[in-house]
Amino acid sequence: MKKNTKLLITVLAVFALSAAAVFAAKAKKPSGPVSIKIATWTSNKDQIALLNTFVQEFAAKKGMQINADFESIAFGEYTTKLSLELQGSSAPDAFWILETSAPAFIQAKALAKLNTSLAAYNPSDISSTALELWRKGNDIYAVPFSTSPFFMLYNADLLKKAGVKTPEEMIKDGNWTWENFRTMCKQIKDKTGVWGYQTVDGGGYDVRILQNLCPIIRSYGGDVWNNGKVLINSPESIQGITLFHDMVYKDGSVVPPGDQSDFFAGNAAMTVGQISRVSKLASASFAWGMAPMPKGPKGNVPVIGQAAIGANARGKNVALASELVAYMTSEPCVARMAGIWPPARKSVLASKEFLSSNPKVTPEQMKASVADSIATGRVLPSHALYTQIDVESKMVWDKLWKPDADVKSVADQVAAVYKKYIK
Amino acid sequence: MHTAGTVVFPQLSSFLVNQGCYMSEKNKKGRPSEKYRLSEVLTGCTFIAPQMLGFFIFVLWPLVMIFVYSFEQKNLLFGSSGFCGLDNYAKLAADPLFVKTLCNTFIFSLGVVPLNLIFSLALALYLGQVKYSHQYISTIVFLPVVTSGVAWAIVCKYLLQGGEAGPINWFLARLGIAGPNWLFEKGWAMSSVIVSRVLKNLGMNVLILIGAVLNLPEDVIEAARIDGAKGWTLFYKIKLPLLMPSILMITIVTVIGSMRVFDTIKLMTDGGPEGSTMVLVYYIYHQAFKMFDTGYASALSVLLFLIVLVLTILQWNARRRLSYYEN
Repeated sequence: MKKNTKLLITVLAVFALSAAAVFAAKAKKPSGPVSIKIATWTSNKDQIALLNTFVQEFAAKKGMQINADFESIAFGEYTTKLSLELQGSSAPDAFWILETSAPAFIQAKALAKLNTSLAAYNPSDISSTALELWRKGNDIYAVPFSTSPFFMLYNADLLKKAGVKTPEEMIKDGNWTWENFRTMCKQIKDKTGVWGYQTVDGGGYDVRILQNLCPIIRSYGGDVWNNGKVLINSPESIQGITLFHDMVYKDGSVVPPGDQSDFFAGNAAMTVGQISRVSKLASASFAWGMAPMPKGPKGNVPVIGQAAIGANARGKNVALASELVAYMTSEPCVARMAGIWPPARKSVLASKEFLSSNPKVTPEQMKASVADSIATGRVLPSHALYTQIDVESKMVWDKLWKPDADVKSVADQVAAVYKKYIK
Repeated sequence: MHTAGTVVFPQLSSFLVNQGCYMSEKNKKGRPSEKYRLSEVLTGCTFIAPQMLGFFIFVLWPLVMIFVYSFEQKNLLFGSSGFCGLDNYAKLAADPLFVKTLCNTFIFSLGVVPLNLIFSLALALYLGQVKYSHQYISTIVFLPVVTSGVAWAIVCKYLLQGGEAGPINWFLARLGIAGPNWLFEKGWAMSSVIVSRVLKNLGMNVLILIGAVLNLPEDVIEAARIDGAKGWTLFYKIKLPLLMPSILMITIVTVIGSMRVFDTIKLMTDGGPEGSTMVLVYYIYHQAFKMFDTGYASALSVLLFLIVLVLTILQWNARRRLSYYEN
């Protein structure tokens, strides 16, 4: 046989064998462990380990083996990347969902109905207010596992150095207000040279604009939009936005846009965080404390970050993923998560164990900053086209981040963007 | 012997010839027999099959689908789609952000391409003359090329922080200059990403041009010198024309690269502030994966394809006029 014919046959044989191996692997029925992919926005190893414990408990209960593959997607890209993955073949079987995206995912029919799976885990124990976003008619599409209010974290050493009272002391005096917070930040900056305040995760100028502004504008009586009415340019909202803008540009006491100074590295005296962020302070080189958000004329209105978990309606393991979601949000599981993600289950929230569920936080702090704030706080507005609204309005919000910005004019332009969608 | 296989894998083909795999089988008229030619074609096809398979699946098929999707109303989030004719193309004319994006893209290219060419040519001419420090300077200039684009953008973002937090502004403050908020001020953001991009890719062009400079024919240059040419005249009349094929080649590559910039924009400015650094490729991403309008994003992709195609053809044709080596 000629050399080139031999070569041809060899190459073809290699191709044929490879193709056969691929088809054989596809045709082979899975007899081993079932793989379940779960998407989250946390990359904290302890938190992932806790979630994996629930998966393994569920697998043991079902008498099967489950290999859980946790995919951590960055918060800023979460909804975008998840939406893309849901159109492909490697979509997660179960995934976390942000409260702002709830209507979009339900409308897109991306979530499996959980009524049957939840029936075994006392669904009436879940706060109906918290569940409101995640249901359509009588059908439940996802279960909130976290109703976590944002509160103030502070660097006690820096406050002492600046000679200012702590937020707790100001609460006792009854003057923990946004105006006094502003004065306090300026004093810190003037006396220590360190920034008085850093917006939540430093994202207050881009990916977390509303998380940053909402507690201020709502405590002044304003809002973003509510009941189909755009309120971002109401006089109350303008008052709140102006206060923050002045802090950044008149006082120079807030970490400005483009500056990467970080509270957790000791480069800012205060920031806004949730209970899940407290783990980042485990190795902090400074003494720290936490307090509820300052109040305005309408009281203290923190943002409640709500997160739910749902099962992919078009996934490969819909039934199993639905059952897993129901188990992960059952009372025993959420009780163990409560120290990180305050739950929506009434029985757990009312328990004494909840207040001492986070070893780094005292029961008093847990009550004041978390439990009480859940009662006064509100979630961010949501919409089926929230991502589009967020992206389009961000370009207008950019106009606010300069010293001579006209706050009213920018708010009017943002309102015009919102009005295209909010009807 | 000149099959597709020899074109794609010329070294492999010559190796096989040396090994005797391609035997000279000729018929009575001295031409290769039909059987032999068929066998040769089959062998060639087999060799290029994996490459062609990859090309069809990962290049040609998506390219065709982009054209198809551009005629559809397709939403990535809701998974909905339907034929919409030329609606997506009509939308282009009515989209003010698209016009702004197009202008930004050309501003970016007009900043990146001349800066890149001027600096790379100047550096190549300098390094072509330096005897001892040549390797060290080349290494410094080439370092950003081998650095990951993501790492480069993150470092640049860190250096370009506003206030005195950024090392660049800290340095300027020591000189009594108040640096701007580079990436958050409309006027400065585009300049910052242009400079970042130029520094990132400069090394590759310098490397190519150094090769060309070192291979300049000494006899021609010596003859020009004897004729009295020196300095600018020697460069403009002799060296530049000789370097023109390399310059034109890197111009084409740099223009295409600048039209397709994504990572620098995504990581440094996210298209902001106020869309002032929103370039065409980033706008395609913005429409497809943030606004979930895949149909419109596909129409934008088709337009980008046409723009790059036209620019490449224009530059290719310019070779004939500007380069002495072209026919």
